Amino acid sequence: MDPAMGMGLVALMGAAATVAGCSEDLESDIGSQSNPNSQVQLAAQVGYPHRIFNKAISGEPPSNAMYCAVGAGVAMVLMSESVMSASPLIAIAIGAFVAALLNGVFSTTSYLGRNASQTRFNQYVYLDVLRNQILSLMGHAYITTFCIVLISYVMWNQNLIGHPFPFPVIALIWGLCVGAIGSSTGDVHYGAEREFQDFKFGSGLNAADSGNITRFAEAGVRSSMDNAWFCSKFGGPATGIAFGMVVFLDNWRSTAFSGWTAVVVGVVIVLVLVIYNRKVETYARKKYGPFPEYAGDIEA
Amino acid sequence: MSAGGPGGEAVSAETANQVDAKGIGVGLIGIYIAAIAADAGIPYLIFLAGIGAVFATKMGADAVRRVCSYGIGTGVPSIGMLALGMGLISAMFGLAFGAMIGVSYVGPIVGLVVALVIGFVVGTLANKIIKLNIPVMERCLMEIAGAGVLVMTGLSVMIAGSMDFVVISEKVIVTGYIAPVFILGALGILHPFNASLGPDETQDRTLVHAYSVGAIAMVIAGVCSIAVIDPIAGIISTVVGLAIWYVTFMGFVKLVKRDAGAGYVGTGLLPPGAM
Amino acid sequence: MTDVTIVGMLMGNLPSIIGIIIGGLCIAVGVHFVPVGGAPAAMAQATGIGTGTVQLAAGSGLTGLLAAGYMYMTLSAAGTPGITEIVLICATGAVGAMIMISVTMLVGNWVYIYGVGVPPASAKKDYDPITGDSQAPYVAAGTVGQGLPTVCFVCGTIGGFLGGLGGSLIYCMLMWVNGDPAISSIFAIGVFLVNAVLPSYNIQGTIEGFHDPKFKRVPKAILACFIASLLYGIIAVTIPGIAMLTGGS
Repeated sequence: MDPAMGMGLVALMGAAATVAGCSEDLESDIGSQSNPNSQVQLAAQVGYPHRIFNKAISGEPPSNAMYCAVGAGVAMVLMSESVMSASPLIAIAIGAFVAALLNGVFSTTSYLGRNASQTRFNQYVYLDVLRNQILSLMGHAYITTFCIVLISYVMWNQNLIGHPFPFPVIALIWGLCVGAIGSSTGDVHYGAEREFQDFKFGSGLNAADSGNITRFAEAGVRSSMDNAWFCSKFGGPATGIAFGMVVFLDNWRSTAFSGWTAVVVGVVIVLVLVIYNRKVETYARKKYGPFPEYAGDIEA
Repeated sequence: MSAGGPGGEAVSAETANQVDAKGIGVGLIGIYIAAIAADAGIPYLIFLAGIGAVFATKMGADAVRRVCSYGIGTGVPSIGMLALGMGLISAMFGLAFGAMIGVSYVGPIVGLVVALVIGFVVGTLANKIIKLNIPVMERCLMEIAGAGVLVMTGLSVMIAGSMDFVVISEKVIVTGYIAPVFILGALGILHPFNASLGPDETQDRTLVHAYSVGAIAMVIAGVCSIAVIDPIAGIISTVVGLAIWYVTFMGFVKLVKRDAGAGYVGTGLLPPGAM
Repeated sequence: MTDVTIVGMLMGNLPSIIGIIIGGLCIAVGVHFVPVGGAPAAMAQATGIGTGTVQLAAGSGLTGLLAAGYMYMTLSAAGTPGITEIVLICATGAVGAMIMISVTMLVGNWVYIYGVGVPPASAKKDYDPITGDSQAPYVAAGTVGQGLPTVCFVCGTIGGFLGGLGGSLIYCMLMWVNGDPAISSIFAIGVFLVNAVLPSYNIQGTIEGFHDPKFKRVPKAILACFIASLLYGIIAVTIPGIAMLTGGS
């Protein structure tokens, strides 16, 4: 494969990964999946029943790995010669659709199951919450799965990159990766900011306020649908950049360089990231300064 | 299942021994009938291996339910990943052992025994060395690993239509269909309890849910088997899986209605007193 | 196919078993280095990355595995990789995992700083052991820190390095035994998960890195993972590849 083609593929994968990361994060924000879910779960127990979607499909990494592996598996069935030799794009689209259906089923059962298990705390099962938000969840899951299965296909196809792992296994690994990134980056924006938006900006959640999530919107009772509106301003795109960077940087160094050079380039990338992180840290410390409530004797 | 109808009061719980007996019994019987029939030239019965996997899923989900009620510190999902990590290797060892001694039918039983041993060792390590001190840890990890083996073996046999390790590696592992089987098996074991977490969780609801997630895994494995073995057999498995899923899913919704009681509403503002 | 016996495979693959054990121990130690704050970190209530140990370690380690798998294929074109090649493959996998985890931590810090408006700080130490910056004044009231100060960031890259190294080493060892990337990759995932979950029980939710008091528990995880990896190594190397069972055809 000539280098220009290789770089083009890496750029395409990076772009698809950016979209996948963003939609993955928004999907988990609408459904309150992963770690911010603990506050939604806690809210009813400490006396704040709510109308927020409460979905816990076993943490983001395994659930996204599941959508992507199933999407890739179904796409592979459709592409195999014994079935219909479908064109890859159609096969991936149908595979992603099946994965989105699974997302719908798992989201439904976790919303119903979790809320029914909190009956004693006056937490209702609202069917309209389920109906309104399930399609949005499935739509975002579709975009995520489609992009990741596409990346995996490009990596696996023998005429393109030709990775030795089987197609669904590559999709499983990237799904696990996007879930891990989504729950580490974008979810913080939802958990620390959107879930507690009526608290003062500029500090984490005080442990004393645990469970007191923002349950009322600009007008009326808040639903999870608005979370996509808020988080798409920052948390979602940030996740997209993170996943896009991972896919791009990792593939770029192994496509453009080979052998030990690729390893050295990778180490240089990591060192640059460490130094840049230090810059961001000092910027934040200077800009924000110490917390005024601090009463200890350690100098800032 | 002693699932009560709507309004059923305190449902008599299924004991761990009953769940295990059903899981291992139905699991092994299903896998064997399916494989023997497929070897005899009748691939249409392979869906029985999937049904075996559904019962094994329920056994794993029940074990997760018991062990996670102690609070294991890292959330429910990790134990499902552990289960399938242990299950995968034991299942493949069992099948490979069968291939090496030339008697492929010993595969699932050897795999199960190995998984029970590994589960016991890992449980002991967690309790004695890491000092988790959860009294049911050893037993539950044995059950979870055993369930992992039966789920992986059942679904693999269902896709490949054979119990021969060579056929399974060619048709399930090299093609990569093992990946959806692996992760759906893990979710089947951990999702039912994770999705019902809360003080009002009831065993029958969680276990009906386990059947339904197991049926989803069966449907996807059935779809994969369309490309691998006889298409009609694959379609039969898919349809049977969908039927089981529909029945159990509706059963789950019914139990949600029962458990949520007056809280099961079409729409509405927050409950009285919370506005 | 009858000449493939269990004893023969065990004796012939002793180096692979040792490799799998070393890989498992690398993962076990690596998990302790990854700064995870679990659920509280997602609410900026604790220092570290706001996700679970297993999830992040698996995400980074398996990303490294992808890079290592590609490198193994490239190198094996010239014959079965020897020790020198294995070192290169493991380095590739380790760097792949390091890139994944550093990007994640960096963007995580962006979200803490620009999205939540907090400076990274940890309440476990008064001063950052690497930069010497004071920590306590920057910890918000009612929390035990937030974000990833430099010490956590560096620990995270070390954790990624060890995780990727371990995963790639296990993969290479399995490739030596069965020569099939599909079987080896899925087994490597299985062994990786077991070795990541056991230490996560040791950590019990959150850890910040080598400066965390919980880091002293590492020996327990090493012992547990040694026994588990030994068991897995013995089992995994007795699973032959297809080529061996069908007589190399």
